[in-house]
Amino acid sequence: MRRRFVTIWFPFLVTDWMARQKPALKDAPLILYAPERGRMVIKAASKAAHSKGIFPGMVVADCRAIFPDITVVEYPTGKAEELLEALALWCMRFTPAAAIDLPDGIVLDCSGCTHLWQGDAPYVAHILGRLGNFGYHVRAAMADTVAAAWAVSRYGRNQTIVLPGEQLSALLDLPAAALRLENAVTEKLEKLGLNTIGQFAHLPRTALRKRFGVTLLQRLDQVSGFEMELVQPVQPPKEYFERLTCTEPICTAKGIEIGLGRLLELLCNRLAAEGKGLRSATFRCHRVDGDVQEVSVGTNLPSRNAAHLMKLFELKTGQFQPDLGFELFELEANAVESIAFDQTAIWVETDTADTAAVAELLDKIISKRGTNVIHRYLPAEHYWPERSYQLAASIHARKEIEWRTDQPRPIHLLPIPHVIDVTVPLPDYPPMLFFYKGQRHQIKKADGPERVEQEWWMQQGEFRDYYCVEDEEGKRYWLFRSGHVDGGRSRWYIHGFFA
Amino acid sequence: MKYTELQVTSNFTFLRGGSHPEELVQQAAELGYDAIAIADRNTLAGVVRAHAAGRIHSLRVIIGCRLELLDGSPLIAYPTDLSAYARLSTLLSEGNLRAEKGSCHLYKADIYKYSQGMRFVAIPPDSLNASFEFDASFHVILQEYRQQLGKNLYLAANRSYLANDAKRMFRLAQLSEELVIPLVATNDVHYHNPARRELQDILTCIREKCTIQKAGFRLHQNAERYLKPAEEMQRLFAQYPQAIERAQELADACQFSLDELKYQYPEEITTDGRTPQEELVHLTWKGANERFNGHIPESVRKTIEMELEFMERKNYASYFLTVYDYVREANERKILCQGRGSAANSVVCYCLGITSVDPSKFKLLFARFMSDARNEPPDIDVDFEHERREEIMQYIYNKYGRDRAGIVATVTQVHWKGAIRDVGKAMGLSTDAIGVLSATRYELTEEWYEGKTATSEGFDANDPHLRKVLEITNQYIGFPRQLGQHTGGFVITQGKLTELCPVLNARMANRTNIEWNKDDIETLGFLKVDVLALGMLTCIRKAFDLAEQHYGLNFTLANIPQDDPKVYDMISHADTIGVFQIESRAQMSMLPRLKPRCFYDLVIEVAIVRPGPIQGDMVHPYLRRREGKDPVEYPSEELKEILGRTLGVPLFQEQAMEIAIVAAGFTPAEADGLRRSMATFKAKGKVSDWEKKLIEGMVGNGYEEDFARRVFRQLEGFGAYGFPESHAASFALLVYISSWIKCYYPDIFAAALLNSQPMGFYQPAQLVRDAREHGVEIRPVDVNHSDWDNTLEEKTVNFCALRLGFRQVKGFKEDDAELLLSGRNPRYTSIQMIFEAGVSILALERLADADAFRSIGLDRRQALWDVSALQSAPAGMFSNQQDETEAQQVQLPQMELSQHIFQDYAATSLSLKAHPVSLVRQQLAMFGVTPATSLKELRDGMQIKVAGLVLVRQRPGTASGILFITLEDETGVANLVVFSKLFEQYRKEILQAKLLMVEGKVQIEGEVIHVVVQRCMNMSGLFDKIPASAKAGLELADRNGQPTNPGSKSVNPKESVKKVLPKGRNFH
Repeated sequence: MRRRFVTIWFPFLVTDWMARQKPALKDAPLILYAPERGRMVIKAASKAAHSKGIFPGMVVADCRAIFPDITVVEYPTGKAEELLEALALWCMRFTPAAAIDLPDGIVLDCSGCTHLWQGDAPYVAHILGRLGNFGYHVRAAMADTVAAAWAVSRYGRNQTIVLPGEQLSALLDLPAAALRLENAVTEKLEKLGLNTIGQFAHLPRTALRKRFGVTLLQRLDQVSGFEMELVQPVQPPKEYFERLTCTEPICTAKGIEIGLGRLLELLCNRLAAEGKGLRSATFRCHRVDGDVQEVSVGTNLPSRNAAHLMKLFELKTGQFQPDLGFELFELEANAVESIAFDQTAIWVETDTADTAAVAELLDKIISKRGTNVIHRYLPAEHYWPERSYQLAASIHARKEIEWRTDQPRPIHLLPIPHVIDVTVPLPDYPPMLFFYKGQRHQIKKADGPERVEQEWWMQQGEFRDYYCVEDEEGKRYWLFRSGHVDGGRSRWYIHGFFA
Repeated sequence: MKYTELQVTSNFTFLRGGSHPEELVQQAAELGYDAIAIADRNTLAGVVRAHAAGRIHSLRVIIGCRLELLDGSPLIAYPTDLSAYARLSTLLSEGNLRAEKGSCHLYKADIYKYSQGMRFVAIPPDSLNASFEFDASFHVILQEYRQQLGKNLYLAANRSYLANDAKRMFRLAQLSEELVIPLVATNDVHYHNPARRELQDILTCIREKCTIQKAGFRLHQNAERYLKPAEEMQRLFAQYPQAIERAQELADACQFSLDELKYQYPEEITTDGRTPQEELVHLTWKGANERFNGHIPESVRKTIEMELEFMERKNYASYFLTVYDYVREANERKILCQGRGSAANSVVCYCLGITSVDPSKFKLLFARFMSDARNEPPDIDVDFEHERREEIMQYIYNKYGRDRAGIVATVTQVHWKGAIRDVGKAMGLSTDAIGVLSATRYELTEEWYEGKTATSEGFDANDPHLRKVLEITNQYIGFPRQLGQHTGGFVITQGKLTELCPVLNARMANRTNIEWNKDDIETLGFLKVDVLALGMLTCIRKAFDLAEQHYGLNFTLANIPQDDPKVYDMISHADTIGVFQIESRAQMSMLPRLKPRCFYDLVIEVAIVRPGPIQGDMVHPYLRRREGKDPVEYPSEELKEILGRTLGVPLFQEQAMEIAIVAAGFTPAEADGLRRSMATFKAKGKVSDWEKKLIEGMVGNGYEEDFARRVFRQLEGFGAYGFPESHAASFALLVYISSWIKCYYPDIFAAALLNSQPMGFYQPAQLVRDAREHGVEIRPVDVNHSDWDNTLEEKTVNFCALRLGFRQVKGFKEDDAELLLSGRNPRYTSIQMIFEAGVSILALERLADADAFRSIGLDRRQALWDVSALQSAPAGMFSNQQDETEAQQVQLPQMELSQHIFQDYAATSLSLKAHPVSLVRQQLAMFGVTPATSLKELRDGMQIKVAGLVLVRQRPGTASGILFITLEDETGVANLVVFSKLFEQYRKEILQAKLLMVEGKVQIEGEVIHVVVQRCMNMSGLFDKIPASAKAGLELADRNGQPTNPGSKSVNPKESVKKVLPKGRNFH
């Protein structure tokens, strides 16, 4: 069978995508930049920018000097690759073998596919039409070789189909750059006046090889098909989804449990084989009358422990109403993460196992009592006491700094400081006694002041002078005065308790 | 009870200290302190400023330095006397010279070695450990310090309001008692008042490269590290009053003052046991006899005697001898040099060969220097050939030794751009926002701050975060950022320089410099000599060499025939491309109006096109008076003497300052302060006090306010680019000499200029073209004829032909040129031969690009074809054999003239074949475009079109947004004037076009022709359409409305043709 290839070119891939996100950008001159050796260099320019004479490689400052109101956005690194991957997957409706052609194209091996679209031309037209409707500027060409299709899609006149066997002749009028050569080679060819492929394709091979290296000959061979070019098709992502059909409707809790258990086993085995674990999963039951019921569970750590997951589901499966019975069970993992295996030393006690156990316990408590009942605190790098701690976001969160020990800090910090009355000698000695919740505390020992200034970039206001004090019962408190003594505006507060 | 703060960090501890030394001193004075110590980290860079401020506020500044050790905890050292200071300076120099620029490596052992006569304060760690004790290691090191430093050691105690202050004080007191080290109270001052804490926090962020939000514990917890009143310190140390007493005791013991530093001239400068004055007298008369061939005119004799007497009285002999010494060395090495400055324009300097300006043309300058009431040291700048200046610098280092000669520092200050970038980053602004803010400073006016206007980018004055950013930025501007080296100022001493001031490694190899800048040096009365570099001197040297080689003439700066009317004719016609100083567009349009006829006219010409006279609006009045349109009159009789030589219009910096003295009643010191503040504080807007004083003073003395304002604006203009008459005079000599060479030997001039590139305003293409217009034949680069430099060949008609050298070929290396030249024996007949001489293929390709194989009979295309075949040829073994695979001849497409021209430009930035614009002349003619050379035949006010390559776009700060463009076509250049509004409209065309066509009104004023632009059009497209046949296929993708390939780099056919043409240079 004759091989046929389509190459698709997205000349404005990333800017077109941005215009899809923000329709206002459509038809607007838009440039995307990235820093390069200290300068902001244009990585991509939209069609409108392009027609103003702005090309990738220019410096943003130069363009701004010329077009002060042009839209300038930072280039999303890796976006082009991501988009091409998605587009190639989408193209799998046209052929099983769709490959990414960096930096801005896709190659389809469409050998034996086009008859489904009534021939080559309608096939390509269909692809162009669909992609165009997405808002992409797109060009494509079909030929017997990838190289020829590539050249024609980039440099050809309106031609899209190169007839079988005519790939070389179709390229004769195209510039040397259409052969995907290195810049230096293209420039040299131009300098020699060999501007089109036709001007040098017939020259003696030895003469060409000596001057331009083997790549040029290789490229020419790839065009004519003497040399094969490999296409690496994209692979569709896997879905973590299992289903179980029942021969008879299931009505009992035990039956549901068995079904769920079997699905969990299947899924967990698969996860184990791939080194993954799930963070959330949905169990879906289809009733004979078409009703669908589902329950979801989430975990604190990626898990593939079927028994543990079973327990989590068990807390919820009670709500199912089988009525006439379920005929189909589905289990889908909505979020899957890799499980990192820490290599554990044999004689060292590690906390990995503990973490897993704690996580499973938390999973259970949370599925019973809701997510807001347990908190963990970590130190935060702020002097201002109210900001000196933060809530841990996940079980993985570790403290980045140690709790402060160079300055005394109370074990129990009041969320909001409480106003107190004090008797205090001037100017900045500790109080002699204070009243808190109607109780009088005679101070026996004290230390301070420790002055904490406002974090001026967030908040304005008075500094605080903190004192550690001990009353006659030996209880210790953290008190502070807000602001300077003088001016009479200063007030006293209690902010915490030491052990 | 008195208190003296001993632990003060100024902003010369970069990115730590939050206040200038001057601010700290002033604050201390206001708080009633008698003395204050400045102790920056491993540096004395800020002490002179503090010292100078101390003089003003009558406050004693104690010199200190916080020594950060690599193997011990820090110590602050305070020298008690001059010899201890010398040891401290030596210690720091040693540490500096061991390390790279910017760091200083010190060890305990160094301290012990140099500790004599110094008092030390040990700095304890900030915090206590879990059992509320100092780390044991501190105890150990402190014990060692006590053993080594004995009773000179103290221990710092401070209360910065942290929770464990009391415990820490207790531990310190324990240590003090146990080890018998007295406690001294300090406040670890980082800023002069608590408001600076915000800036200090930001400095911490800049230092730690983080944002304020992320800085966390790297900041200080509170704002207590400010200079506190003595009573407050006493209250804080109420439990330890002896610590306050000890601090005062230490301060009293350190009586050393920078005023004790004595500068001594080196002694090597005299011979035969003469005193410096005797030597100077001897050399002067010896030189005078040579200069005047034994017939010294009586008037000169008298002047010399007077000058020598003055120099003896002022004890300046050594200074002149120092300068003479390296000028003599330069002359011996045949390096051209030329002195400038008021002291340089003396007959003595003329006799010593320091300057070549004939003193008979200048009676006034030195006399003015002598009569100057200011007692400032002479200042002579000597310019050397820029390519060989380093030789003189190394000569100075070698002669006096690195421990006795050093380059003066320049303290790089933070400017708006750097400040907003650093502060913005630390405050968490995005890079974009910072970029825009940085560019829109001029929009942040007072009205904006008051919320009345918005900026074009929409910055809101009510945004507190933004206001904070700007507030801190404004505080940060002017902070020292790093110590650089001055462009060429040397301090040379008799004793060790390292004992006067710490010496450090400069960024450049083989250079060392001191920590103080020129103002510091001046404060202390040190003398500096300037060794500067000047490109034009290199060019003149090369011209002199060529003259000797080809015309057998032996020129020096002093023997070029003077006052030649032909030279002044040429200058008056603005035929001055390439000439020193007067080649810019602005200068060239001034020349036909000024019509210089004598040397002093050139002095004026050099000085007049400068920001000072332009901002002061003095240019036009001067021209009108000179042309006789306005009468010459003087604002007052007393100014007649000052302004007499410039027709009553102040043009020079000295004149403006003298006006301030005479007319506004300034003291000379105040006038000098005014000039300085213009340079330093202009950025900070602190000049308004001076403005008021000057204008009120002048109006009070009966001058018109308008005149006063103009004088002030002129002073403002001089601030940044001071250009005194004495410098203009020295430059004028070089103007004259370069003009003379250009006038009589345009061949030599062109070759010398091309060989000294990059230099000046013009590119090789214009220089070559100018030479051709003066009748010089220019020959192309060729492998059989060219040298590395541009050379002169046999005489053609009037002049020698100029052969372009390999240095004009882009990417061709001097090494390859050497190989090529050594193998050229006598000529090459094939490319193979050059290859075998060892020239690389890459280099051969460059030569092919430059079309340099014509003498072998190959054009560039064929040459490139042949060169690229060398790639795989077996080297050496079968030399000179014809490769058999080449048997089949390949016919390459014929190149068209236009393609050759573009490739010439690509390879050498110029083409001798034709001017690119001539290729499209026909098309341009259809648009009705006038060739540039025909403009002068038009009538003033006519509507015309011109087109050409954009050579230069210039938007001087003094011209209120007007843009000057110079276009070039094959007939000449056209000068365009674009008003700012029009520029906004045609911004794209003006900035993008290689070939620009404009329509406008021609303005003819004598010989000065401008086109005032009304419309612009980018005609670069015309170039794409020329060689239609050769570019078939290149534009295909473009033609059917589809995009050309934006993704891959090479395929921008239009660009690739056009990018070779010069982009046009931008000047500001």
